Amino acid sequence: MAEAVAPQVFTRRASGLVRVMSPYSAFIYNILTMGVIFPWTYIWAPTAFQGSNLTLGILFAFLFELPIALAYAWLATALPRSGGDYVFQSRVFGGGFGFTVVFAFFVVWILQWVALSGWLLAVLGLAPTFIGLGVTTGVDALTSFGTWAASSTGIIVISILNALLSLMLLVSGFRNYVRFQYVMWYGILASFAVMLFLFFTTSPEAAQAKLNGFAAAVDGVQNFFATAKAAAAEAGVNFNPPFWLFGTLMVAPIAWTSLQWCTYSVEQGGEIKNAHVFRNQVFILAGSLVVTALLLVLLAMGMQKGLGQDGILVASSGYWYGVPEATIGGTFLMPNLIAIALTASPILIAIIGFGYILNSFQIVCNCYIGTTRILVAQALDGLLPEWFSRIHPRWKTPVNAHLAYFLASIPVIVAYNTVDTWVRWTLGVTFANGAVMTLSALAAALLPYRAKAIYEASPGARYTLGGVPLVTVLGTLGFLFGSFMVGSFLFEEGLGLAYSIDAFPYYIVLGTAVFGLVVYWIMRTIKAQQGIKVEYAFAEIPPE
Amino acid sequence: MRLLRRKGTGGGEPTRIFYASDIHGSEPTFRKFLNAARFYEVDALVFGGDLMGKLLIPIVRDAGGTFRASLQGKQHHLETPEQLEEFKKSLDTLGFYWKEMDPEEYRTYEGNQERIDELFDELAKERLRRWVALAEERLAGSHVRVYLCGGNDDTDVVLSALDEEPVERVVNCEERIVQLDDEHVLVTVGYSTPTPWDTPRERTDEEIGKLIEDLLAEVPDPSRAVFNFHCPPLDSGLDTCMKLDASVWPPAPIIESGQPVYYGAGSESVRRALQEYQPVVGLHGHIHESRGVARYGRTPAFNPGSEYGEGVLRGLIVAVRGGEVVGSQFTSG
Repeated sequence: MAEAVAPQVFTRRASGLVRVMSPYSAFIYNILTMGVIFPWTYIWAPTAFQGSNLTLGILFAFLFELPIALAYAWLATALPRSGGDYVFQSRVFGGGFGFTVVFAFFVVWILQWVALSGWLLAVLGLAPTFIGLGVTTGVDALTSFGTWAASSTGIIVISILNALLSLMLLVSGFRNYVRFQYVMWYGILASFAVMLFLFFTTSPEAAQAKLNGFAAAVDGVQNFFATAKAAAAEAGVNFNPPFWLFGTLMVAPIAWTSLQWCTYSVEQGGEIKNAHVFRNQVFILAGSLVVTALLLVLLAMGMQKGLGQDGILVASSGYWYGVPEATIGGTFLMPNLIAIALTASPILIAIIGFGYILNSFQIVCNCYIGTTRILVAQALDGLLPEWFSRIHPRWKTPVNAHLAYFLASIPVIVAYNTVDTWVRWTLGVTFANGAVMTLSALAAALLPYRAKAIYEASPGARYTLGGVPLVTVLGTLGFLFGSFMVGSFLFEEGLGLAYSIDAFPYYIVLGTAVFGLVVYWIMRTIKAQQGIKVEYAFAEIPPE
Repeated sequence: MRLLRRKGTGGGEPTRIFYASDIHGSEPTFRKFLNAARFYEVDALVFGGDLMGKLLIPIVRDAGGTFRASLQGKQHHLETPEQLEEFKKSLDTLGFYWKEMDPEEYRTYEGNQERIDELFDELAKERLRRWVALAEERLAGSHVRVYLCGGNDDTDVVLSALDEEPVERVVNCEERIVQLDDEHVLVTVGYSTPTPWDTPRERTDEEIGKLIEDLLAEVPDPSRAVFNFHCPPLDSGLDTCMKLDASVWPPAPIIESGQPVYYGAGSESVRRALQEYQPVVGLHGHIHESRGVARYGRTPAFNPGSEYGEGVLRGLIVAVRGGEVVGSQFTSG
């Protein structure tokens, strides 16, 4: 026998598979989708759960989401396709279940996010920026525009333009979005850094004085902070609450409204380069979660340092208790507005505002990107008309799906800003979307058993814990944690659906599910008449 | 009044075709393809080309009876017969060929591309022979036929295995017109336009156009034809892939402004044929990542994509009747 060799592979000349968005772009995409601009943790939790600790609550949310994010890494590498959650659930649970859940709770409910992103752009982005610039430069027209941006008409106009601009960008080619995403990324990072700098370099006393000056310039009110604090106390805010562990635990579902989106890139899994590589998905999903949780914690710490507990509670009272004295220019005291009030520099205001405007725009983009990919996947599976799946030959984008989603979003945008109670269903979105992600975690847990061949061919199949597939362990944990948070939205009065006084929001949730089921049944019937069983799209064919 | 009609004819039961492409040597994927007949309850199995695998893994015997092999950038030391079998099984799933050899034999291949290509052809042909035999065995006693052809990745040497033995259930449809049912014919062209990989069966777009024209000249009614063209129509969305720089080896993605450039790698001649002849349906493969559907007048064109390396069979069920597609369904199983 001759000496040993280290053999190499023999290759012939043959083609290989190619994909699109880089893992780094997908990582950024998830961070932007989680929206460090979302203010809910800071303006909702402090008075809804008085005595809660924001930093600890965010860490709870991170720990609850971590097994979900990791379980998704298994799903995303086993089934690296566009339409993510729908593909996962339909392959594990079956088409009827997967279609109904993801169509109803993602595609339908995310219309609300399109409306919300317009609201964010108007109220969080344009209004504070222009009000701030108007105050610091003395140009009344800027202040007037800022005030108009926060009005009902302003929000509707801005929301529709926001959606239209996003439609045009995304339809023109996904690579155009990916390029522009870098502008959004650096703009948002700069904005966030400036905010942190302003919070960490001020004191509560100085911040109160600056808020007084800012409110006087915008609304002409004197002694703003003391007045707002008194009104908040009268409304029921306790400014010296003892630490409340359960309340802190309830901050987690609120922080989860951001952190749950660390898995959203799976919807365009078929367009991510090397999406089947395990470490790439861990980086994209869990990595983005870690970074965003860290940013949220830093902001909570910064606000604690710069505003103090009283400042945080006053800001929150304007939102949760609807204390009008605790708003400026008709706008809630959201972190960016407070940061704007802390500086007299138009440049810093512009940087903060630009970042928020960009992130708001990114949110409407991600609504379109995710849902259109789901629509395409469902149409390719024959559960929606083929029209939805068509790709424009020149732009290579799902133009029809984009167009349909844009048109569907317009009535929701109008209703969001004109129907009194509609805005409260925003939190129903978190429930509904959270339910999808929680069920995907369960799909991950069951993947080795319900889609055995797919699992065994996936790179994650080599990881086990005590003989049990690691994805089953993580998926089960994720399902339990997710169920806890989704359940909180359903039943905890300080959260989501339960804080409405009647059962109507529950009917809406149920109604969307029934709607999804009806669409499935209709398509199934039509296909059967064409000689096709839709179940074939989800069935795993045995090799033997 | 006719109470009974034959399959595929107007008003009767549609003829149900299962189409898949680009299996690239994957053993479980081909087995699934054969099982699709019973599983999806179809009348015909149509394959769209690219039967051959892409890699050959030498499994080199060490002193002491253990083995070494390289796979996906990693050196594997196979110490037990079980490990060796498991390794071979994973290669079969990936569509790779393998051969056990001594170090001396391995060295005779090193740097000798001609010998490597010969070994490829030998192993691929052997696998295709086995597949033909397996198809005959699995489809015996049924009415289902399997229509096989090559793609741009398949060599003529290997494809000759399709015509070696007289068979009943397997039909070599390469560059032929074959009857699918009483009403529809299958027209097959397995070539592709030039690729950066310089694969064995590439032709210029003009040559592909001529092949199509020559074949269709013998089809009395192209509107009753099913086009089985490996190469998808140009700029259809079924042909979108990364643009590669062929001046380096292996070809590398072209990056502009930090992003890969995408383009349509399909055939203008195929697109023209679909537009002009308005066949029943266009069935295409070649670009694995471009699963989708396009439409040319009344004619839908499909590419079900391929995930053969995962052991996943991507396919399409299409029901045709009276010269029309009455239903379609992508599958992934």
